[in-house]
Amino acid sequence: MAILEIKNLTKSFGDKAVLTGLSLSVPEHSVFGFIGRNGAGKTTTMKAALGLVSPDGGEIYVAGEKVCRGQTGTNRHIGYLPDVPEFYPFMTAREYLTLCGESLGMSKAEIKQRSEELLSLVGLAGEKHRVRGYSRGMKQRLGIAQALLSRPKLLICDEPTSALDPIGRKEILDILLAAREQTTVLFSTHILSDAERICTDAAFLEGGKIALQGSISELKSIHRTQEFTLELAGGEHMPALLSKFPRAKAVGTEALSFCGGADEIHALLAFIAEKKIAFTKIERAEPTLEALFMEVAAK
Amino acid sequence: MRSFFAFFKKELLESARSGKLMILGVLFIAFGIMNPAIAKLTPWMLEIMAEELAESGMSITSVTVDALTSWTQFFKNIPMALIAFVLIYGGIFTREYESGTLLLMLTKGLARYKVLLAKALLLLSLWSLGYFICFGITYAYNAYFWDNSVAKSLIPAVLNWWLFGLWVICLAVLFSTLAKGSSIVLLGTGAGALGAYLLSLLPKLKPYSPASLMESAGLLTGAESADAYVKALIVTVLLCFTFIAVSIPIFNKKEI
Repeated sequence: MAILEIKNLTKSFGDKAVLTGLSLSVPEHSVFGFIGRNGAGKTTTMKAALGLVSPDGGEIYVAGEKVCRGQTGTNRHIGYLPDVPEFYPFMTAREYLTLCGESLGMSKAEIKQRSEELLSLVGLAGEKHRVRGYSRGMKQRLGIAQALLSRPKLLICDEPTSALDPIGRKEILDILLAAREQTTVLFSTHILSDAERICTDAAFLEGGKIALQGSISELKSIHRTQEFTLELAGGEHMPALLSKFPRAKAVGTEALSFCGGADEIHALLAFIAEKKIAFTKIERAEPTLEALFMEVAAK
Repeated sequence: MRSFFAFFKKELLESARSGKLMILGVLFIAFGIMNPAIAKLTPWMLEIMAEELAESGMSITSVTVDALTSWTQFFKNIPMALIAFVLIYGGIFTREYESGTLLLMLTKGLARYKVLLAKALLLLSLWSLGYFICFGITYAYNAYFWDNSVAKSLIPAVLNWWLFGLWVICLAVLFSTLAKGSSIVLLGTGAGALGAYLLSLLPKLKPYSPASLMESAGLLTGAESADAYVKALIVTVLLCFTFIAVSIPIFNKKEI
């Protein structure tokens, strides 16, 4: 079953159309990467799912319930981490989680137990200071803790790693991966290596629509053209190869990279065999989300 | 109900830790002491200035001050306390819109009307508390130095002004749901109070205007009875409820 279902969402700001018929389905217990460039409409889509932005058209369902603008009941299924989470600076992490828990109507004992559990999950268990002095990474971690407090069915994170250094990013990704045991994670990003590291599913947002959507393995198999690298034992055959295969690109003096379908690869192999060209390595590059994204974005 | 009190507690904690509660306390206590102090010091100040005044042709015979002088000071000073109160707390909603702190609370399913009512309750109770502390201090000093009984209809006059303060705060709450920044809230509230004041200048409308509740001189001297303000009281209470009732649906639909 899909935990989040978006049908034909449209939204314009002034005369700028941000979303032009976006449809998206997030399967339960997935880590769903919502990928798009800056300004593609990722945040708008997520805010619409939370009822914070009213779409011009289309429908959104969370756990089968329709999302309404403003005061919406569907938010009880969702834990949300905005791109730059802001907390009350005069509170400590524990006080903040207590406020969240009480707002959610959780019992005292439950709040206490869950707070400790989550604070140690995100590595803030020993933190006694007020939020005022927190670094960005600490705020992101507290953000994840507050989002998971009520055991939501869906965790929505808006670019959780974009503003962080490599270590902070890795920590957040590990926490999200750990959170997968408890919930479905939807996170937006433009950092493809992050998506590749932890996602089970992904969707590419381009031109206000979903250009591609599916599990990571499905997406990679859609990637029709394959990239090969050929390393030669010497540079003397490079000009011949490059003139015979105009699509190949020289990488240094003794190697070339080659994009193409099966026929072209076979033609290349035949050429190497015929001319008895010595080589040290032929390698098929693993298809990456990045290559796929470039392809989608180029269309 | 629990989530309402949780949020109310947060508001109280914020007021305490940000130092606003202390500022308010100092403010209202200072005003409370100032009223009788100014009354007490008036003859002494006039005596000092007597020579100068005599040179310019004014002669001062004898000045008698009593509790009435002090109560007149009270009603002269309390508008400043109200203005200070609105300035201090004018951003109680808009600061949260600007910083985005409300976003996380609302996306947790905290009902918006509870946020609004918790903030409104905090404002109304802090105003009431501060106002009556100020009143209590002035009352105690006046009783010690003079005799409070010279001020006729003191309690109605004090309650009228307190209610006017509540009305201004409800107006500020309404503007807080309409505006994005605190300057608009302050401008709107000021304009609303000014409008009520202008209406009270028209003899026909005067008995209905909340601003007429600010007038205490008639009550204190006994020239007017409390009955003269019943219509204004009813209008003011109705407006308070209307402001809050209207702000709830506006706040529910607000883009935060």
